[in-house]
Amino acid sequence: MTSLDDVSKMFHIEFAKLDKLFNSITPQSELSVHEIIELYYQIINMSSMITMLKQQIDSHNSKSLFDKILDTERIISENFNLNIHPQIMKKLINSIHDTTVNLQSSDPMQKSKDDVENEAKRYEELRQKMSTKEFVEQYDKGLSYD
Amino acid sequence: MIEELAKNLVNLKQEFTKLYVGTSHIQEVIPIHKSEMFPIDENHLQLLHHFAKNNPIYYNFYEQKILDIPCIVYEGDINKYWLNSIQYGSSHAPFSPTWIMSAYVNVLLAKDFGFLEIIDIGSGDGRIAYCAKILNLESFSIEIDEMLVNLQKPLSNILNFNPYCSDAVQFDYSLLNLQKPAFFIGGLAQMGGIELATGVLEKISLILKNVGWVFAGTYSLKYNSDPKNNAGWGTFMDKYNLKHIQSILLPTVWAFHESDETPYIFTQTNE
Repeated sequence: MTSLDDVSKMFHIEFAKLDKLFNSITPQSELSVHEIIELYYQIINMSSMITMLKQQIDSHNSKSLFDKILDTERIISENFNLNIHPQIMKKLINSIHDTTVNLQSSDPMQKSKDDVENEAKRYEELRQKMSTKEFVEQYDKGLSYD
Repeated sequence: MIEELAKNLVNLKQEFTKLYVGTSHIQEVIPIHKSEMFPIDENHLQLLHHFAKNNPIYYNFYEQKILDIPCIVYEGDINKYWLNSIQYGSSHAPFSPTWIMSAYVNVLLAKDFGFLEIIDIGSGDGRIAYCAKILNLESFSIEIDEMLVNLQKPLSNILNFNPYCSDAVQFDYSLLNLQKPAFFIGGLAQMGGIELATGVLEKISLILKNVGWVFAGTYSLKYNSDPKNNAGWGTFMDKYNLKHIQSILLPTVWAFHESDETPYIFTQTNE
């Protein structure tokens, strides 16, 4: 059976991962699809742990861990949900729009095999951004039910 | 014979996927000549190549022997059609075609079942309707996306497969004077195919009784399965009392990287 110490240690390790991700983001950051997925995965991971631990631990006997959980909850709410998440949504929407316009205005006249295949990579990136936007929108819908 | 042809085409595709080293968005093969594996009329094969060579979605082709069969590999790109199609509110599924050879085998089978006309619903570049013309069947191609219909127009100069730019659910089928048609529904059940098929079937049932319906299905775990199976179409077939005639596996562009080929489900209104 997992002891309170183990749970606390695990929670601190996961929080450190989240903190590292937050510290790597600035308002100017252009996150890749992979970085966005990694960030949301860690947020969802931490949120699930918080929900579970709040039901399982005693706020008096495990005050230090409980305080850390509440603090993490606040950070996710204030730092991520109200700040980083809307920025990511906005950047994804703008990026999808710009790439779409750019691809639509691409000169349809004689293109070489390499031109067509290089352009196909940009279409693939667009599809990835669209899928990521759907995923991010799902997170957003979850917030509106909270 | 048609089932054997389909199996040989699947084997050819599976070998081709092992050999293919290109990076094109889409690719397919057509044998150059009639052979034991592909006992197809030489003129028909020429017309299939003619369709590919005149189709702007393909930007490159080259000869390659696959399973000792001399073939032409066609490399293409349909990204701009995909981007255009996803911007239509009423479009049911983004354009992703079956193989030209699969279109031909499908129509051969429909003809073998005695259908006299082929109506290609959500026809993309019109390849199924085109193959119907090769096989001397009357054919009509219904496509909502104007960009795709513009793609069909020069191809229909080779053989006139009657392209219509229209929402298939709104189209007036009484204009076509159909006798014994088979309708090919573009799109998987899980990708808007059910809504499209429902709209067309409910219209057709008011004017015709003896009708064939051909559906492209999938057994891929990526999609929700249907409790009554038939590659996603079982519940729909039950609801509209469609009799299963035959299923056949064939290569398609969208399943090129999959180990399982695309099942086509042939059905008929149950009198």
